[in-house]
Amino acid sequence: MYSQKIQEKGGELVSTPTVCLGCYNSCGVKVQTVSGKVVDVVGDKEAVNSRGYICAKGRARFLDLYDPTRVLYPLKRGNPEKGIGVDPQWRRITWEEAFDIIIPRLKAVREKDPRGLVISHFDLPAYGISKAFGEAFGTNNMTWNRADYCGAAPHWCHLITNASFNGELDFKECKYMLLWGTQLGHLAETIPLLSADEMAEARRHGAKLVVIDPFCTNTAAKADEWIAIRPGTDGAMALAMANVMINDLGLYDRGFLVRRTNAVYLVQADGHYLRDGATGKPLVWDRKDETAKAFDAAGVGEPALDGVFEVAGQTCRTAFEALREHLKQFTPEWAAEITTVPAAVIRRLAADYGTAARIGATVEIDGHTMPYRPAAVHFKRGSGAHKGGAFSSFAIHLLNILVGNLDVPGGQRGVNPLGPFWQPDVDDDGMMVVAQHIAKYFKPYPARKAAVPESLDLHELLPVSLFTRGLYPLGIDQPEKFGIPYKPEVLLIGRTNPMMNSHNAQAMAETLKKFDLQVSFATFIDETAEFADIVLPDAHDFERWDLFPANDPYAFIAPGPGQWYWHMRQPSLQGPGETRPWTEVYIDIIERLGLIEDFNRVGETAWNISEKHRLDRTKRHAIKDIAERQAKTLIGDHFTFDDVSRTSCLITRDKTMEEAYPGAFVTGRLPVYFEFLIDARADLERVIAELGIEWDFRPYQPLVTYIPCLEHEPAEDGFDLHIVNFKLPFQNQSVSQQNIWLDEIGRANPYTYKVMMHPSAAKRKGLKDGDRVLVESHYGKDEGTLKVTEIVHPDCLGIPGMLGHWARNLHVALRKGTSFNTLLPPPSIERIDTLSGQIDTCARVRVTRIR
Amino acid sequence: MAKYGMIIDLQKCIGCNACTVACKVEHNTPNDIHYTQVLEHESGTFPNSSRTFLPTLCNHCENPPCVPVCPTRASYVRDDGIVLIDHERCIGCGACILACPYDQRSRVEDERTVFHDGLTAFINNANAAPPKGVATKCDFCYHRVDRGDVPACVETCPTRARIFGAWDEGETPLRQFLAGHDAQGLLPEKGTEPNVLYID
Repeated sequence: MYSQKIQEKGGELVSTPTVCLGCYNSCGVKVQTVSGKVVDVVGDKEAVNSRGYICAKGRARFLDLYDPTRVLYPLKRGNPEKGIGVDPQWRRITWEEAFDIIIPRLKAVREKDPRGLVISHFDLPAYGISKAFGEAFGTNNMTWNRADYCGAAPHWCHLITNASFNGELDFKECKYMLLWGTQLGHLAETIPLLSADEMAEARRHGAKLVVIDPFCTNTAAKADEWIAIRPGTDGAMALAMANVMINDLGLYDRGFLVRRTNAVYLVQADGHYLRDGATGKPLVWDRKDETAKAFDAAGVGEPALDGVFEVAGQTCRTAFEALREHLKQFTPEWAAEITTVPAAVIRRLAADYGTAARIGATVEIDGHTMPYRPAAVHFKRGSGAHKGGAFSSFAIHLLNILVGNLDVPGGQRGVNPLGPFWQPDVDDDGMMVVAQHIAKYFKPYPARKAAVPESLDLHELLPVSLFTRGLYPLGIDQPEKFGIPYKPEVLLIGRTNPMMNSHNAQAMAETLKKFDLQVSFATFIDETAEFADIVLPDAHDFERWDLFPANDPYAFIAPGPGQWYWHMRQPSLQGPGETRPWTEVYIDIIERLGLIEDFNRVGETAWNISEKHRLDRTKRHAIKDIAERQAKTLIGDHFTFDDVSRTSCLITRDKTMEEAYPGAFVTGRLPVYFEFLIDARADLERVIAELGIEWDFRPYQPLVTYIPCLEHEPAEDGFDLHIVNFKLPFQNQSVSQQNIWLDEIGRANPYTYKVMMHPSAAKRKGLKDGDRVLVESHYGKDEGTLKVTEIVHPDCLGIPGMLGHWARNLHVALRKGTSFNTLLPPPSIERIDTLSGQIDTCARVRVTRIR
Repeated sequence: MAKYGMIIDLQKCIGCNACTVACKVEHNTPNDIHYTQVLEHESGTFPNSSRTFLPTLCNHCENPPCVPVCPTRASYVRDDGIVLIDHERCIGCGACILACPYDQRSRVEDERTVFHDGLTAFINNANAAPPKGVATKCDFCYHRVDRGDVPACVETCPTRARIFGAWDEGETPLRQFLAGHDAQGLLPEKGTEPNVLYID
């Protein structure tokens, strides 16, 4: 009956294996077409990180291909006025007409100062294209997107401790999972299908799940215990837990701290390490013969973890001693006041978690005896996206470090710190340094030299950040303030929607208006494309090739034991109308600018193409051709496209034990004491003085601390609720709301299109369930429908997802839900974490009934 | 003849709604008609409050109250226990909709589905979208079952919260699972004997 039906429609079912780009996670899927039309998308059973499963977003998104509002032709703005709600008065033009506008303008910018070109997208597999484009053109401003609202601080922690970009848990062995401001395992975070399956299985088999979140998310709903915390105060609670574990309960892994951290390094009164006079190496105190020795000296018997010592007339103490003393101020009672989590609960969690970690236990796997630590904490944007985010995240991560569970069975793990062609280094101080292949952007350690910015993202002022992509609006709005010697002029933007995904829309509108020419690559005219001068019709990812591997060669490969696998994205159908993949259009532009040779030269390195498969630098190469050369480099000369005709997932080999459990094998140390921040601060102070601007140096200190968010200051202004945002498992960022099926789920769900308020707050304000309300912060406002509920912290207003679209074309998404981001202020020095560049997402609101 | 059933593991369901969309794609159901849905329920008072997810679908009851009330015999039970509606026979009187204690039947007031402009590529389901005026509901993906596959919602579930199979044929995954758990049908007091069971 099934095949009969297909034949009736006059075609055969063609199944094209590819990689979903519905979010950034790269799940293997099969796109099923009949007569060139997509009829379904199913999971690819051979794809290791999705195993044949597929989420609501991934399944539904083929509707986007056929949405009647899809952009099919190049468009030119007819109305010179730009603004929210202003009709751009689009006029259809040809591709040639579009290039006739774009190319001369780009040539002029390049002649004047190529850094006037800003490139913005959130399209991970295509970063290699924009990088080669940007470098060939001569701009350093090629990474603007909203990543700093998300993981700048958590990623920072993982890079300096796990030598990896992301963190995760060993679901199979972990018996006590503490999720802190994240929905890992609930289709809202890394490697979602695999982690959802494994975490559900772990729960079914008795693993305990504790979730700390101001709102009872889908994840908190599955927890054995949901702890509602006041937003942005996570660091305080974590510091109190660490204090209890070290100072009250003695629950910490001495062996791990001695071997794998700088806890044993001696520090002097000024905070610096005490160093060996001859070699400059940090000293430790050897208990065996009671002398100070270089940490790596032959014959160090028993490095002291605690204690105060006299060395060459100087009083010094171990870094751990300093940390332990420092933590004493963070009592559970102190934290309870700030977080609203009772002190008794903080104490109990510290004890439960520390005990569950089974410090000292070992396990033998394949002949290797390794530490076994079946308790772990994972953290992400909820706890990290705050003022002081790097330290808040680190305070939470300290709970992992204390029990020594990093990258060992049962514990917290980085996502592939060791791989087939990358591994972390160890520097002269014995500290672990993440592989460049993993860091991709900047390494947080060692610190870079601070400088007056030449980039609009101001990264030169954040010398230990990994990237500062969210800070572009600061540089674009006021380049002169930061000593930037040029102005932004042209914006090439696509697959990211800053009008909705960053901060207050009015403020972002002013930022976009700074550009003389905005070219938007778009499948839909979203809120940002409404500001474009030229709109170019972009392909859907089911219609394009991508650089190989599409799963970015580390971040979207499951960590822990398993296999190395690499995905090829390939088109399943031809795009409609005059749509073209933006990546190919970038090459069109490069060609017309006469820069193809430079583009290919930069690309060969950026794309990891071996000598043997070199490009002809004078020629244009299609993305498919580049991908083939990349695949031959990575997989071997024998690669042909036949290899990806059944599955897009190419498995090269099993992971070694070292790759599966690097924590048991690597030797580099991770910091519990940030000595390097002392010198980084001194260096930065010089530059800040030169610029004559305000700066927050509080995070530049060697011991992890708590830095409150600005909006936690007491206020008597009626703005009495903290807003808190959380992901929905069936919506992806601001891009999936135009989907009719996902909208149906949202309309049937009790929370999706609502703002959530506790009954006590509603009573205080005289509001009731179902009221239309105005939600106002000091920076922006939006409307909402009130849901009065017991599943939100009484001090908070819960606002889900990235909803509340206002672009005129998005008829399905239009005005559904409430925009959290528009309530946030634009980034400013006082609202960012000056270590990681993370932007604070705390804001207070006033909620009133709309009559 | 095998008798089919489903067990839903409530502990595993995370409310992601992958099943809801898989069902929409499979059946091309009209807008806002769902053959399976994840209901949510709130309980407790803060801070001891939580929410629970309850995936629902036609229970394919042993004693289906919807079948005897049908005046045209459009609602019927297959030998394998799957309860179906013959849309040709259905006159849309609504008796079955009232009879179902689980609220699992809908009347198609507007037969339009996504992209009802003729461009629709939905030919991947044996069931054409139901016509206007009939009653409709979950059919246990009988067209998939007949070719040896599991229903779309089962195949797609990322946490494997849904298990489908025959109750009475050897050591099926369904029977193995049932052996270790206390599975319950919804509203047992109605005497419907559902073939969809839940475990906590």
